[in-house]
Amino acid sequence: MSYILHLLILLSIYSVLSLSLNLLVGYTGLFSLAHAAFYGIGAYITTLLMVKAGWGFFPALVVAILGAILLSLIVAIPSLRLRGDYFVLATLGFQTIIFYILYNWVGLTNGPYGIPGIPRPKFLGFEINSIFAYSVFSIFLSGICLLLLWRICMSPFGRTLKAIRDDEIAASALGKNIYRFKALAFALSGAFASVSGALFASYMRYIDPTSFTLMETVFILSAVLIGGAGNIKGPIIGTMFVILLPEVLRFLQIPDTIAPNVRQILYGLLILILMRLRPQGLGGEYKLQ
Amino acid sequence: MSILELRQVSKLFDGIKAVDGVSLSFERGKITGLIGPNGAGKTTLFHLITGFLRPDAGAIYYKGKRIDGWPSWRIASEGIGRLFQDVRVFKQLTVLENVLVAFQNQPDDKPWIAFLSLRWLRNLERENIEKAKYWIQFVGLEGMENVCAEELSYGQQKLLAIARLLAADAETLLLDEPTAGVNIKMIRVILDMIEKLVKEEKKTIVIIEHNMQVIRDVADWVYFMNEGKIISCGPPEEILENKEIRRIYMGIQNFTPIVGR
Amino acid sequence: MVAQLFANGLATGSLYALSALGFGLIYNTTRVFHIAYGAVYTIAAYLLFALLSRYGIPLGIAFLIALILTILLGILIDIYIYQPLLCQGSSFLIVMISSLSIYIITVNIIVLIFGNEIKVLRSGIAKTFTLGQVILSDIQILQIAALAFIFFTLVFFLKWTNLGKIIRAMRDNPDLLSLMGIDLQKIRWLVFGLGSLLAGLAAMLQALDVGIDPHIGMSAVLTAAVAVIIGGVGIFEAPAFGGLLLGVLQSMVIWKASGRWQEAITFALLIFFLLFKPEGIFGQRRRLEEK
Repeated sequence: MSYILHLLILLSIYSVLSLSLNLLVGYTGLFSLAHAAFYGIGAYITTLLMVKAGWGFFPALVVAILGAILLSLIVAIPSLRLRGDYFVLATLGFQTIIFYILYNWVGLTNGPYGIPGIPRPKFLGFEINSIFAYSVFSIFLSGICLLLLWRICMSPFGRTLKAIRDDEIAASALGKNIYRFKALAFALSGAFASVSGALFASYMRYIDPTSFTLMETVFILSAVLIGGAGNIKGPIIGTMFVILLPEVLRFLQIPDTIAPNVRQILYGLLILILMRLRPQGLGGEYKLQ
Repeated sequence: MSILELRQVSKLFDGIKAVDGVSLSFERGKITGLIGPNGAGKTTLFHLITGFLRPDAGAIYYKGKRIDGWPSWRIASEGIGRLFQDVRVFKQLTVLENVLVAFQNQPDDKPWIAFLSLRWLRNLERENIEKAKYWIQFVGLEGMENVCAEELSYGQQKLLAIARLLAADAETLLLDEPTAGVNIKMIRVILDMIEKLVKEEKKTIVIIEHNMQVIRDVADWVYFMNEGKIISCGPPEEILENKEIRRIYMGIQNFTPIVGR
Repeated sequence: MVAQLFANGLATGSLYALSALGFGLIYNTTRVFHIAYGAVYTIAAYLLFALLSRYGIPLGIAFLIALILTILLGILIDIYIYQPLLCQGSSFLIVMISSLSIYIITVNIIVLIFGNEIKVLRSGIAKTFTLGQVILSDIQILQIAALAFIFFTLVFFLKWTNLGKIIRAMRDNPDLLSLMGIDLQKIRWLVFGLGSLLAGLAAMLQALDVGIDPHIGMSAVLTAAVAVIIGGVGIFEAPAFGGLLLGVLQSMVIWKASGRWQEAITFALLIFFLLFKPEGIFGQRRRLEEK
């Protein structure tokens, strides 16, 4: 039972991660490889404020969101000047640099040793301690994020993002400030990812940089690509797929030591097949251009 | 009354003068034609006016303001709209969405609106959808609102692009070969629309065309361009009868008769 | 001390330069951002390892076999993955994602077969040579020599042979070439083959030098891509300079700061160049409008 709750918590965290990445990839057409960095920044800022400065979860979360927004703009402003491959490479560069800082600035982040003892959130004097309580909390907070993301995607803003994705020159000729829209998308995407980071940190009660590597970005990206980009249900389907597939593997009695590798091979194969036959993924709308 | 003015505008590409010291002005409320052989610099001129290219020399003024050097979205917001030669509809958006994007009054650059008054947003959307449907019907695409733009034929995509331009409520329209690749009936529709826009909506229109009949039909004034320079200008009959211009244009003239004239 | 670091950097930089030349060759002609280059790299190293340690084949022969297989693999990736996608009109993004997927699949298969630990190919202490204040191992000298040889051969090839000129033309005008009756398919094979050869060469030299682990490919392809950008995209010879520069700078970092920050140099340089000099050291500033 608690295992199912664990899965639900993971699902909620990763849904927000994949929908926020979808805002960039599927709606704005920006293939960013830096997502895990914002996830990580959210986790680390929340953690450091809670553990080292004794803050509560919610105030720490607010600062984490602001920090992630600032970081996204730092990444976005130089990267958005670049086209195509260079943009992807630049985001990859930022992802690596940020990971590097988390890993090597031992004085601040404890580096590879990680930060243990992260408290659970306190709400109205009541500590959200049990896994059941946390699952409710996580689903609730993620739910709010998903709702907001849904509203953003359905709004005129979301529609204009899609127009920019499809043809930014035509969009520009209609008076849209391309740069500004893309930067906003980046900021929003990073903000939501940081909420996931905070939820993850408080749940695991321990974080280290290895949860926020390039491979993690690729994992989130897999969810978006497999489920499909460009609408709401695609990434959700994708998230369920990538989180629940390991359970299926366990059921097939594939040993735990090799399971992660088998999983990655399966995702890789699936993405290859999808890119060839159905680039809009299982449930998405946008055929990557 | 001149609304758009170019003074001594030049643009070089690797030392070749694509546009060479061009000075011209476009009259408000009139239809001006821009003709010349391929490679004369006409589309480059459009790029320069709309901010996709920066002039290497000279200045461009719109309604008295100097606009060269502005980013293209800002020039578009000032009221200069453009129909591209290669159409450029938003392929994975529906016809309706294509037109909705074009409205200038919507708060689409403020994503936080989505967090606030849902009812106000919904009302605004409803209004815009009504207006969008009007323009879709105006260009003759009614019934196709929910069709994905990439499923439309070329001619239909052109009409959609025009509807988008109309929805954007641009004061000045730069049309790059609006009748190219379009069948004769559609040409008539487009030309009637162009005349209507000027007569009723008081728009200013500049047309790049290779179809001389179109120019003869609707243009009030014509500029002839070759090798980056303005060679001559005048009323269409004068320009089109000119032997020198015919010589330069030999083989490129298109005398497709317009149905109904 | 500085001289030693510089020499070490030169050796490492030679490896970077070799793989960058290969990556650049493929990117400059076909415009494919070949992330799977990292897969080719990793496979070459592990092939050598397997041939040496599991089958006991002598070094020279194992080297050749691994190289040939690597070249074949590189060409096959193009034939079975990239070309079908390009034929159906897929965008560069889809090609890149597919390339990334190939990399991920490959690395995981390697982990399953060989495990995650570092494998060493040569036991014992390497032979060293002393030149003045500097001590270099036999492998390091081999790395520098390999680069020198390959570099000058490549320059000669591209400048003076017909095939070389065709390859240079392929970047800007592939249609013209096919109109001239040149089989673009075969040229692509050549390019992917050569690129993979360089990847394999660099990988195996690295393997003999410091050993291998399943993740060397990603490092290699990223360093190669950065070296191409630093040198200047579009110029076939430039990645060599980018690679050497990276190698030397990385080495120098140890002199002033901790070795931990080595890889950060690569990305710091990347960001710097992308922002301020995207055409690279040897490239020409392209018009802003060209997208």
